[in-house]
Amino acid sequence: MDTFFQSLVSGVLTGSLYAMIGVGLTVVFGVMRIINLAHGDLVMLGMYGAFWSHVLWRIDPFISLVLWVPLMFLGGTLVYRFLLRSIIPGGELNTLLYTAGFSLLIANVALFSWTGDYRTIKLPYAITPLRPFGIAVPIPLALAFALATAITLALYLFLARTDLGRAIRATSQNPEAAALMGIDAGRVSMVTFGLGSALAGAAGILLAPSLYLYPTVGEILIAKCFVIVVLGGLGSVAGAIAGGILLGLVESLGAVYVSVAYKDTIGFVIFLLVLLFRPSGLFGVGKS
Amino acid sequence: MSRAAAVALVVILMMAPPLLTANSFLLHLGITMLLWTLLGASWNLLGGFAGQVSFGHATFFGVGAYATMLLYLRLGLAPWYGLALGGLAAMLVSLPIGLICFRLRGPYFSLSTLAVAEIVRLVALNWEALTNGPVGLLITGLPSVALGGRVINWESKLPFYCVIAALAALAMAATRQLSRARLGAYLVAIREDEDAAEAIGIDTVRAKVLTLALSAFFTGLGGGFYGFYYRYVDPDAVFPIALSVEMVFIAVVGGLSTVVGPVIGAVFLTSIGELFRERFQVGHLIFYGLFMMLAIRYLPEGIWGSLRRALAGRPRAEPWRS
Repeated sequence: MDTFFQSLVSGVLTGSLYAMIGVGLTVVFGVMRIINLAHGDLVMLGMYGAFWSHVLWRIDPFISLVLWVPLMFLGGTLVYRFLLRSIIPGGELNTLLYTAGFSLLIANVALFSWTGDYRTIKLPYAITPLRPFGIAVPIPLALAFALATAITLALYLFLARTDLGRAIRATSQNPEAAALMGIDAGRVSMVTFGLGSALAGAAGILLAPSLYLYPTVGEILIAKCFVIVVLGGLGSVAGAIAGGILLGLVESLGAVYVSVAYKDTIGFVIFLLVLLFRPSGLFGVGKS
Repeated sequence: MSRAAAVALVVILMMAPPLLTANSFLLHLGITMLLWTLLGASWNLLGGFAGQVSFGHATFFGVGAYATMLLYLRLGLAPWYGLALGGLAAMLVSLPIGLICFRLRGPYFSLSTLAVAEIVRLVALNWEALTNGPVGLLITGLPSVALGGRVINWESKLPFYCVIAALAALAMAATRQLSRARLGAYLVAIREDEDAAEAIGIDTVRAKVLTLALSAFFTGLGGGFYGFYYRYVDPDAVFPIALSVEMVFIAVVGGLSTVVGPVIGAVFLTSIGELFRERFQVGHLIFYGLFMMLAIRYLPEGIWGSLRRALAGRPRAEPWRS
């Protein structure tokens, strides 16, 4: 029974970070109708941001959020303005291929700059875990969970309460009607891509103390991203959150009760099944 | 220049380097380019004609490679037979994959092929009894073969060059045949408007599954050749996502649904990749990504497609649409 609760807790903790990555991808898809294959590489950039500011300037990874998240937002808007904007009218498959190229470019520039070595961030407070009710909770993961929840909640409030947030949701629901209501689609797309990049970067920073870092880690993360957003329904923020937590749970319970070796396979099998039988997502909120 | 002449010219060009030089680095470069030509052309059969962007072709490459290696190691079947059986194995694997993934369209199809490829990769990694897991499979020596009174012992790279040149030429011939066949016309109809294709009575799933099988067969041959040439395979070498993506890039950068496009894509990207690899060891795919982005942005028909259009004096086409 202890093992069960233990894997339940660690599933939810990792799941919250998956959710955050998924939300970034799904918001971008909702507004621009592009599946950004480079999303996982943006998470990787966040991880390296946390790593280098820790190594070079001794900044705690969780504090470095303040530095990198705005930079990732800015970077995302520039990428939209100078690289993506002219491609989007070419259609979904064109942008898929384009972002595949972008992904390869980012991962290989990282490989070239930082080599393929596996790296870790060692934090003094990571050694002894918290033990509420006898369940081991690593402090970096607990902190990451708290911050991911706060950031996702802030994003939710932004989308629900502010004018810009409403414009983003409107564009996501019906781009033509939104444009007719006087919403500047270009500006909305730019902000959305910035937000998506910032969320990916933030998730990378939060994950960095708990995972190995290497330049092609984005490949695995992007694959997980798809599982999450397809589970929840592409374009749905609430679905991505639920999908992220669900994937975290499935992975951690699967590792204990099925097989550690096939833990990742379970996620993909679920992904395929959902794609085939409920392409609009388990929760039926997305549009396919 | 007629298309037949163009094909003949390319085949002659492919055969020229070994006659001009026995330099083993150049031969190796030529072999690499021809292997990528084969893979690009194989992907192009489905991706170019039918517009179905598969991100999972590494599956067929890996299955072909493992089948060829295992047939040799376990049953002692010489690799040149194993090669063909490896292609057939990849073809067999492609049938259920096609039937599953073709229920989806557009980007959803692409994502499903990526997921299938990851599942197959993880199975190859964990099914140690068959695949030896992450350790991989190693061949120490290759049996020599007598051909026309001469004994080929596979010590030099020249016989490998001839084998891969023949395979690449075969894939190009298949591309040419497909462009003239009824199936090719069906595929173009599917690419342009799948609903309309169905409405005029084309069995779209059948056409797509058949083409995927053909594409998987040639990709499997490429995988078999890889195992045979490098004498070593492991899951990371033959099943990575990056391999699937590189195949896509060769075809797109060279020119979709053309015979010569994949050759141009392979020569262009491989030579740039090799130049970069020599200098920097890692990150040699930077330019693959960069050229992919530039091609989509400025040459939507790829290098060969745009060149051909310019030579024929026709105006630039609309960007490649989904």
